[in-house]
Amino acid sequence: MLLKVENLQAEIEEKQILKGLNLEVKPGEVHAIMGPNGAGKSTLASVLAGREDYEVTGGEVEFNGEDLLDLDPEERARKGLFLAFQYPVEIPGVSNKLFMQTAVNAMREERGLAPLDMFDFDEYAKEKIELLDMRADLLERSVNVGFSGGEKKRNDIFQMALLEPKLCIMDETDSGLDIDALRQVANGVNALRSDERSFIVVTHYQRLLDYIKPDHVHVLYDGRIIKSGGFELALELEENGYDEIVQQYKNA
Amino acid sequence: MAKKLSPVAQQARDFYLQQAQAKSTAENGFLKQVRENAQAKFAAEAFPTAKDEDWKYTKLTGFIQHHFTTVGTSEAVADKIQGYMPGFPVIKLVFVDGWFSESLSDDLSELPKGISLESFSDTLSMNSELDQLFADEERILSEPFGCMNSMLMSDGFSLQLAANTTLELPLFILHLQTKAEHLSAVRNRIDVGQNAEVTLVERYVSLHSEGAGCNNIVTEINVAKHARVKQVILQQQNGESYYFNNQFITQAQESHFNTFFASSGCVVTRHQNHLYMDGERIENSQNSACIASGKQTVDSRTYTEHNQEWGFSRQLHKYVLDDDAIGVFDGMIRVDQQAQKTDGQMDNKNLLLSDKAKMDAKPKLEIYADDVQCSHGSATGQIDKNQIFYLQARGIDKANAMRMITKAFLLEPAEEIADQQIRHWVMSELETALEKTHLA
Repeated sequence: MLLKVENLQAEIEEKQILKGLNLEVKPGEVHAIMGPNGAGKSTLASVLAGREDYEVTGGEVEFNGEDLLDLDPEERARKGLFLAFQYPVEIPGVSNKLFMQTAVNAMREERGLAPLDMFDFDEYAKEKIELLDMRADLLERSVNVGFSGGEKKRNDIFQMALLEPKLCIMDETDSGLDIDALRQVANGVNALRSDERSFIVVTHYQRLLDYIKPDHVHVLYDGRIIKSGGFELALELEENGYDEIVQQYKNA
Repeated sequence: MAKKLSPVAQQARDFYLQQAQAKSTAENGFLKQVRENAQAKFAAEAFPTAKDEDWKYTKLTGFIQHHFTTVGTSEAVADKIQGYMPGFPVIKLVFVDGWFSESLSDDLSELPKGISLESFSDTLSMNSELDQLFADEERILSEPFGCMNSMLMSDGFSLQLAANTTLELPLFILHLQTKAEHLSAVRNRIDVGQNAEVTLVERYVSLHSEGAGCNNIVTEINVAKHARVKQVILQQQNGESYYFNNQFITQAQESHFNTFFASSGCVVTRHQNHLYMDGERIENSQNSACIASGKQTVDSRTYTEHNQEWGFSRQLHKYVLDDDAIGVFDGMIRVDQQAQKTDGQMDNKNLLLSDKAKMDAKPKLEIYADDVQCSHGSATGQIDKNQIFYLQARGIDKANAMRMITKAFLLEPAEEIADQQIRHWVMSELETALEKTHLA
């Protein structure tokens, strides 16, 4: 088991958002977490990545056999957890190159590898730029400054490609993207799929899942997963919306 | 009539007046007159207090407890120079405790034709047209430390570039303070002829790691038509010292002037540009990057007068403040009614690394023309939590993330430095200074 979430409870500003969430992800699996607004989707992504604003009030999370909740965000990243942001952050004056060279070398240190110097890093980054068909001047530009919404999301995918994580959590990566940008992002993700790498795709809509086919689909509502199934569950949601499933859950 | 002063301020005022009188009694002619004018003004007006609007946040209570003497110098510093040289070719001028050192400086007789460079003390003793040299005393005297400089000025340099001459190498002016309780009263005069070009790099350092020293500098720069002047100033004195600099720059039409000020160290730093754009189509930039920690105050201010059409001015001032430090920015862009089509921008951004650090910013515009484009802004805040988390989420530890973000913030104004070697050198000096904040 790569990720095991048991009875996870979390709050922000004293408001309970996650109310006992369970989830298991095996290596190579793609899980979709779907749900209406306010269900706690982004909270789940943030809590797993270690954002400070959220307080975990109960439950356990095991990542690769380790207690994930005990680790700082940077330690989680170094151990192979990656969060693709709903709103990737702009950092004026810090080049993508400096940012990613520092990040890649932090990972390498964790794995007991020698740091990449400027030239080795350039070569390594160039491969990934070509793989993902990114603009050539990407590395010289400040992190996300002056990027369109689509470019920012693709920059996150590029970072994912460089850092080679074990688990990628995609927090509403599809929000705000037009269909072309959505396809580019999905192509990037598909290029990075492998038997060892798992994905948790958090989304409100099914459209991203047409491009990134999940093995499992979960419906998150009111801080809990209320229904799980295969890809057909996503289709069902697209057809009927969340109301029916939510109603069934409330009646039960 | 003299101001009502505290006994401590009175003693300090009387001390500096005595120092000044010791100089002026030994002099004669026009210089004596200049000194005595300054003394009279200083006697009546020194020192400004927190009641003076321009000195509200930059307190002199510490300064007046010292009695900095202008007398004396030290020559045994030859082996220290190398450590302060930048790693690129320059023409070197070395000042020790404010006095020009011929033996430590490069040979100035080999300069290209049309360029003359001499010590200011030589100018004072040999120039027969001192009335022209001191034509603009009035505005210097209007600044308290300008006034003090006029009555105490000892040395500095005079640089004249004839029309169409270029000093290819940057002029590197190194000021070494060797001892505590010493004041260097530095006066510089720079005249850059039509279509002439020069780059100035000034560096102020303390060789004594403890005890307060003081640099009081006045520099006048005249930039003739089509001339180009680039200037970088590094204030790096020790943490107990004082730095007061008043620069008066007059630009003629279609000239360019770019100045960059980097500040770290000193318990009180006050750097002022007074810039007069007296011709059409003038361009200039005034940027600064200031770091302060402990109980330091860093005060950078600009007064920019757009007096003719099509002037273009740019300013970016950034401060990083740690501990109990105080940052002060005061900027005024004044646009005369003649100065149509003026394009003036002034920005000030500040990063507070502690809850106790404080920033006082006053960007101001005074516009008397109706067809202009001017803007000013100021923002103060702490490092954005989202930025830190974004870097952490990529495996970069929090301390390193904060360093990267702060460094990028502080270095932005230095990107305007056109010469790559100078830019890299300045940036690495600023990085070193940042290492001394609690980010390190």
